[in-house]
Amino acid sequence: MKILVPQASAPRLTRRALLGGATVIGLGALAGCTDRAYAPTAAIDGKPEDRLNVYSWGDYDDPANIRRFRRVNGIKVQMDAFASNEEMIAKLSTARGTSGYDIVVPTGNYVPQLIANGMLAKLDLSLIPNFNNLEESARGRAWDPDNEYVVAKTIGTTGFVYDTAKIKTKMASWSDFIAAAKGAAKGSTSVLDDAFELASIYLAANGHDLNTTDSKVLEQAREFLVNDFAKYIRNFSSDPSQNIVQRDFVLMQCYNGDARLGIDEGDYDGWKFVFPEPTANLWMDNWAIATGSQHPDNAHAWINFMLEPEVGFKDMVYNGYPTGLKGQRELAEKRDVDRLDLIFPPDEVMDRLTAGLLTKAQGALVKILNEVKAVAGS
Amino acid sequence: MSPVKQRKLRLSSAWLSFPIWAWLLFFIFIPLGMVAWYSFGYKPGLFSPVSNSQLSFDRYREATSGTFVKTFWNTLEIGLLGTALCILIGVPFAYWMAVKARPEWRGLLVAMVLVPYWTSFLVRTIGWQIILAPHGFLSNFLQDIHLINGPIEVLYTRAAVQLGVVYNYLPLMILPMYVAFERTDAAQREAARDLGAGRLKAFFSVTLPDALPGLLAGSLLVFIPLMGDYITPSVLGGARGNMVGQMLAQQFESAQNWALGAAMAFILMGFIIVTVLLVGVCFLTLRAGIRWTRRLDLEGVV
Repeated sequence: MKILVPQASAPRLTRRALLGGATVIGLGALAGCTDRAYAPTAAIDGKPEDRLNVYSWGDYDDPANIRRFRRVNGIKVQMDAFASNEEMIAKLSTARGTSGYDIVVPTGNYVPQLIANGMLAKLDLSLIPNFNNLEESARGRAWDPDNEYVVAKTIGTTGFVYDTAKIKTKMASWSDFIAAAKGAAKGSTSVLDDAFELASIYLAANGHDLNTTDSKVLEQAREFLVNDFAKYIRNFSSDPSQNIVQRDFVLMQCYNGDARLGIDEGDYDGWKFVFPEPTANLWMDNWAIATGSQHPDNAHAWINFMLEPEVGFKDMVYNGYPTGLKGQRELAEKRDVDRLDLIFPPDEVMDRLTAGLLTKAQGALVKILNEVKAVAGS
Repeated sequence: MSPVKQRKLRLSSAWLSFPIWAWLLFFIFIPLGMVAWYSFGYKPGLFSPVSNSQLSFDRYREATSGTFVKTFWNTLEIGLLGTALCILIGVPFAYWMAVKARPEWRGLLVAMVLVPYWTSFLVRTIGWQIILAPHGFLSNFLQDIHLINGPIEVLYTRAAVQLGVVYNYLPLMILPMYVAFERTDAAQREAARDLGAGRLKAFFSVTLPDALPGLLAGSLLVFIPLMGDYITPSVLGGARGNMVGQMLAQQFESAQNWALGAAMAFILMGFIIVTVLLVGVCFLTLRAGIRWTRRLDLEGVV
């Protein structure tokens, strides 16, 4: 099993660290107020509460859906955004169940650790009848085989867009990406601000497993990315769709949905998106309820609402990622949704994608990203 | 005054100073102490940002070795150049505002410097992102009038960060300089001119030395927050305008390595303190040198 067994690293950090910090000051008493355990989740009593706090990725949920949920249920919905799983996890683990968030949206590979560390509350699937609307392939994934804690929200993959006016050669693979970054797109290449995705460029281009933990391969990846590739990187993007609209760069690594969003919002026809060979990350974001949630009835209602075919369809058109709900593709074809090929990768592509895992290589990957940033900045 | 009365007075002033002590304790000393404590720890695993079960200086070594230290130097260069540019722009402007402009306009001028500063820092910075966009209006306009051949390529470079920090911190230089110039004595300037000094000489020998405290205050107000700036390089910087503030935030957020982040924070503070001290020493030496070479022997006058 590649996924780390996380018990050993159970985050006792807050209490001990706080205690330690406070001892230095000589105020040990202050630390007494942090409790080891997570605050308990409120009981489900069948009565809707007055509000719901959702912690999701930025610009990820169609505002029309949120307004409708507000109106139908007559409750306040507070949306808050994070930019990385780590950021969300940091808040959950330091708040220990008092973050106030009810709904969180972790990526699949982070789910086992979240569960093992008690950060997620168990779902009551009887309150989520729309769970049956999900395709078989979107249920019972490796990180939560019985869907006890999470339910599929969005599926996506990573690729790149390039400006066809500037890059005339055929672009099909990560090797092409690297070659263009050093050639036609020199000084105008952007990569994702993500440790796994950055390493993937090298690993995929050289035929390695994206989830490799082989220290020799990781060292080669470090060597290439830090000493060779870093100087060609112009930007580490956390908002590629905005960069596409503004035509900031010629070559940009990005997720397929963000690429569609950017190409649609801009008024430039020269962009082309590539599902690069030989492989890329296949990821799934999930609905989950945070431990310590004070509005569990609303939280279940929210997840159930989001799994309604019409609601899921709206989200898909909005953010450009499939939801894993049955019949969405047919519906999209019937309604003539634009750039369907970007939302639904062809079967040939789906077959060669790799589901990214959180492995013991993560520390090394983060270190590579930091070093690449330092070199690119000098 | 009887001793009893004095004691009462002192007690009440102790109470009055309580808020500042509480503020210092809870918002400066305790947080700083915790960051210092974390900086001696390490990251034990994927899900734990910090542990102090083994104490060492390893994080400081890690932060100052190899690649990371480049970012510190970059930041220092941006900080020093930014402060110098703020002085170059801010000093003449503040002098004009305080001395040359008509007095009834001064309130309006101060407002014109201040009002943009009331806008959110982030919004002002994003404004520059729109202005500098390669296919934005400025770029298109400059191309239309054939001043440049291709789209401007300033955004996501170090030049954009440099521009952004000067724009963002300029009011912090202008305002103290304005106050300092306003307090200089017009009669002294007049006397200098009467005694044969030209305009420039009068400015550099009389007015500017009088306003030096303002220049020092302005430089500190610009340099210190600039060194820790996180927003400007994040919005305008791209890979090449990388500054320590981002690297630090990254350690606390995405890398989840609070120990390394804490060590970086202390190294950044060290950089700032050493630079300020160095500049201070240079300044004092320079002033002592000038005073010594220009000293006047007034013995005969008396």
